[in-house]
Amino acid sequence: MTETGSNETRQWTLEPETEYRFELDPGTSLAIKLIQGNAEVFGAELAEGKHYLFGSECKAAVFTWQGCAIEMRHPSTEYVSEETPMVAYANLHIAFEQMRVRALAKFHGSPLPSGEEPPTAPEPPRVLVLGPENSGKTTVCKIVTNYAVRAGQSWSPLLVNVDPSEGAWSAPGALSIAPVHGPIPTYSPANPLGSAATSAPMAMSSNALLPVVYWYGHPDTKRNPLLMDRLIRNLGENVNDRFELDQEGRSSGVIVDTPSSFASSSTSNDHRQKLIKACVDAFKINVILVVGHEKLNVEMQRAYSSYVTVVKIPKSGGVVELDHSYRERVHNYQLHTYMYGQVIQAPPGMSHATLGGESLTDLVLSPSSSVIKFEDLSIFRIGAETMAPSSALPIGATRVVSEMQPVPVDPSHPGSGLLNAVLALLAPQNPDENERYDEEILDLTVSGFLIVTNLDMQQRKMTILAPNQGSVVGKTAIMGSFEWQEQ
Amino acid sequence: MSSVYTQTQFGQPSYGGPSFSAPLPPPPMMPSGYPQYQYQYHQPPAPVFLDPIAFRREFASRLSQLTVNSRPIIQELSLLAQDYSRYADTVAELIEGHIRRVPSWAKLPAFYLLDAISKNFFDPYARIFAPFVVSLFLQTYSQVDEPTRAKMEEMVLTWRTGSPSRFELFGAQHQLSIEQGIWGSGGSGHSNGSQITRAQVLSELQFALGQKERAYQANPFDPSAQNHIAILQQLRKLVETGVSQTELQQILNQLRSLIRSTVPPPPPPSVVPPPSLQWQNQSFAGPSQPTPPTAPYQVNQPHPSGSNIKTESLPATLLPSVPALQDINKLLSLVKAGVVSTSSTPNNSTPRGAGASHEKRTPTPETIDLSREAKRQYRTAILAQKVKLTSSDIIRTRPQIVDFLYHRLSSQCKQCGVRFSGTPAGKKEMNDHLDMHFRQNRKADQNIGRGHSRSWFTGIEDWIHDSSDMKGKGRADGLRLNAAAAANAENAKRDAELRAQYVVVPPGDEAKPISCPICKETLKSEFLEDDEDWVWKNAVLKDERVYHATCHAEALTSTNTLAARLRTEIANASRGTTPESAPIRSTPLPSSSITSTSTSKSPSLSPLKVGGTKRKADDSESNVENEAAGTPPLKKLALSTAAS
Repeated sequence: MTETGSNETRQWTLEPETEYRFELDPGTSLAIKLIQGNAEVFGAELAEGKHYLFGSECKAAVFTWQGCAIEMRHPSTEYVSEETPMVAYANLHIAFEQMRVRALAKFHGSPLPSGEEPPTAPEPPRVLVLGPENSGKTTVCKIVTNYAVRAGQSWSPLLVNVDPSEGAWSAPGALSIAPVHGPIPTYSPANPLGSAATSAPMAMSSNALLPVVYWYGHPDTKRNPLLMDRLIRNLGENVNDRFELDQEGRSSGVIVDTPSSFASSSTSNDHRQKLIKACVDAFKINVILVVGHEKLNVEMQRAYSSYVTVVKIPKSGGVVELDHSYRERVHNYQLHTYMYGQVIQAPPGMSHATLGGESLTDLVLSPSSSVIKFEDLSIFRIGAETMAPSSALPIGATRVVSEMQPVPVDPSHPGSGLLNAVLALLAPQNPDENERYDEEILDLTVSGFLIVTNLDMQQRKMTILAPNQGSVVGKTAIMGSFEWQEQ
Repeated sequence: MSSVYTQTQFGQPSYGGPSFSAPLPPPPMMPSGYPQYQYQYHQPPAPVFLDPIAFRREFASRLSQLTVNSRPIIQELSLLAQDYSRYADTVAELIEGHIRRVPSWAKLPAFYLLDAISKNFFDPYARIFAPFVVSLFLQTYSQVDEPTRAKMEEMVLTWRTGSPSRFELFGAQHQLSIEQGIWGSGGSGHSNGSQITRAQVLSELQFALGQKERAYQANPFDPSAQNHIAILQQLRKLVETGVSQTELQQILNQLRSLIRSTVPPPPPPSVVPPPSLQWQNQSFAGPSQPTPPTAPYQVNQPHPSGSNIKTESLPATLLPSVPALQDINKLLSLVKAGVVSTSSTPNNSTPRGAGASHEKRTPTPETIDLSREAKRQYRTAILAQKVKLTSSDIIRTRPQIVDFLYHRLSSQCKQCGVRFSGTPAGKKEMNDHLDMHFRQNRKADQNIGRGHSRSWFTGIEDWIHDSSDMKGKGRADGLRLNAAAAANAENAKRDAELRAQYVVVPPGDEAKPISCPICKETLKSEFLEDDEDWVWKNAVLKDERVYHATCHAEALTSTNTLAARLRTEIANASRGTTPESAPIRSTPLPSSSITSTSTSKSPSLSPLKVGGTKRKADDSESNVENEAAGTPPLKKLALSTAAS
């Protein structure tokens, strides 16, 4: 445990309520160790004396409520900020806790403290987080979730991701929900909200999340708003079914992260409003947080203030403007991480760092590549490949293919676009034939993601990269517009 | 570790090399007929450490193996500590750190080590341990469960006379602090007029009783020992029913002088098995991992001490001396003159057995209330916060967030930073949490080199229903997330592990057909290219017979009559014969795989992996298919006939 090579390390002493921010360049990693005091990364507390690794162009901040000293190696951009929105976020957390304990007290029939006006129907917080691009929506979601699980009350809120451009814990293109039981660590933009379960034993439960996943398949919500709407409502139904069975767990609440297109005025107002409404209805939202966007705040107040609390919250000065190419790279990191796990090299001279609280070896995964026949897997896409908006069609004309219709994809067709495509492998259809319906595959959850790495037209075979050795033969998959190639 | 070994003059593989020449004091006695190999097995060569860093590394690495009450490891570590007393500070630091770090159930063995070192090598170790022993002991005491506490209490009592001059091992002041920490200010009686708790007296009584019982076992023809036991038991009954404060004081004083007087100056070699074997077996009965990792170094049988080291925490076999008799009589008179005329006379109470088991401390029925109370307090505190959920209010208000996130949650997991409240309920959660870490680490250790992969996402039905598993108290911590799926995966994994086991075919027996005693199917032999050995796949060697690993595991876990019959059969076989002279062998015994485990009397312990385990994804898979194709009809038949 002796410190070797201390020539490279640097120490920072942080005053209370300040944060150390860093941004990593591609291919670099950073190790931070808490030496003294208390510190947290987006709401997840650091254990003293452990080296925490960050990589894959991670941009994050170490915040301290009470002051701390940290030591690190190899950052690229770094500075300490005294202006953080953490006080506001902490107040949010406390307000949410009040809602939770009231809801739980109601459930248990426990008395509230004297002087407390018992609300007629105390509801747990069901929060929708809205905001423009680069406003830190996901970070807000992560912080309030982390504070909830840290309260020592055994809360396990449901974290919902309806942003298809972000992978959350699985892969981009997916909409999903996961119950969160422990703090979500931050270490790479490939896992902004923790990681879905692997076969490796994990020390942190948020590195082994069990989400329910639907596949939208495109980074942009404009591409197929009807499908977005339908999947959001499916997610909402699942939440309700789950809470139906677990009234107590219901009191932990729901936190929904949204895509920036919900807030951006450049998107057509109509579809944006519809999707926000879909979220509010599906998740029975009672709090809308608008991150640093005056106009959107006013808009939401007008639309929902009769039954939803709309709160504008400050945006952190630490958010980084991310360009398109960065987001592309993050999609690559995410798919790579989905298949191969986290592979981040520790800075030189460091042998015992942890990544998100896990030892590095446990995070390396081995996917499985197999060759299957074309007919072994039924592949669909939802709607036509390129589709003009309905409004662009001649008056009176209807589409030949509706936006929601599953269209079979023939791998032997030269223009199938399957090579390098990301496919979502679906859960089996209803075994009861009578229960089946035309668009059932729209409502099936995803079991995992596959990549078509080779197509052999002569042999009518294709090579599939799958996350594990489970068989895909006889199953159904949907393709979207995501592609991935190993680099 | 290996690098250290290769640099030493011995230049031999660690553990169990045939020639052995460590610079150890020669064992004072070597019981005749004691198997030689076993002795060597437990006495690894002590390497020479020239620099403190190498020593630290070695000691730390061996210490990390001390997670069960393993006498060889304790011995080994004690010897190291003795030989390198110039690094005593390092030893102290490592032991303290180890005890503070490991999960609660692994703390006791390390305390036994601390105990052994400070008693056997009083100078300098007792002095060096003394500064932290009080806080370490009391902290540990607050974290462990009841049986462990009882063991720790027992240990503390031996510390009263633990020094060579038979005074307090760590000094009177420290002893007092510890005892006060355990039993309240009644302390060790040095401070007069303070309260003595019944629990304390009972605990000391239990201790004295234990001594006497061991004495009686060592010398069954000593009528006085039997008599003492009876008296002590009666005394205990008396205390349990309730006596006055002065009587407690009297009893306590008598007991103390009795204990003190019975400690003979040179402790005789102990012949008692390590005290907490039962406890150790329980804690390893985890479903996922049948074989304790340290199994090869563990003794499951009474094991005469091979050196002059006393690793027992208890002053072992003690014969009452003459003054002790007087004390006993005083005690007796106390009873006689005392408040009670109990119906049972000393002589008709059973001399041994009945009193030997610890009295059950009923767990306080308040735990549920406590957690409810904690919830209520939290609710009151959180609702007392004046925050309104408005855009302006959340910026203006000063949150008491530090209080909620840090101050109220005073105990923190050193590994992952998760916090728990300092209340008893919180401590329990913390212990569960540490256990979780330990299990995960152990799994990770076993998994090294196997490779992991991303799991499929859960199906919708499982996802909706799994919440029922988390409603209970405590954190899920990723363990009971999806009971059904996890269990399935676990089963599949275990099955694959079993099928990957093999037994090396003894040379010359390659052609002999061998059948599994359970399913009567022939074991398939196969040539392993890597090892250049013929092996039986999916096989395990148990009591000189080769079984299908899967059949054997099934038989052990199932509760049907066949399994029960088999169990007794195995038990009989192992009880009746020694490994080397087994009269009946259904299969030839591979010479390479004799282990010291075959004397285990508990066949419900999982089968040990004999001959090593090789994992190859393809291997095990093809194996599964082969097995599935030729599923033994015989086996089903056997099961059904047995069930009917």
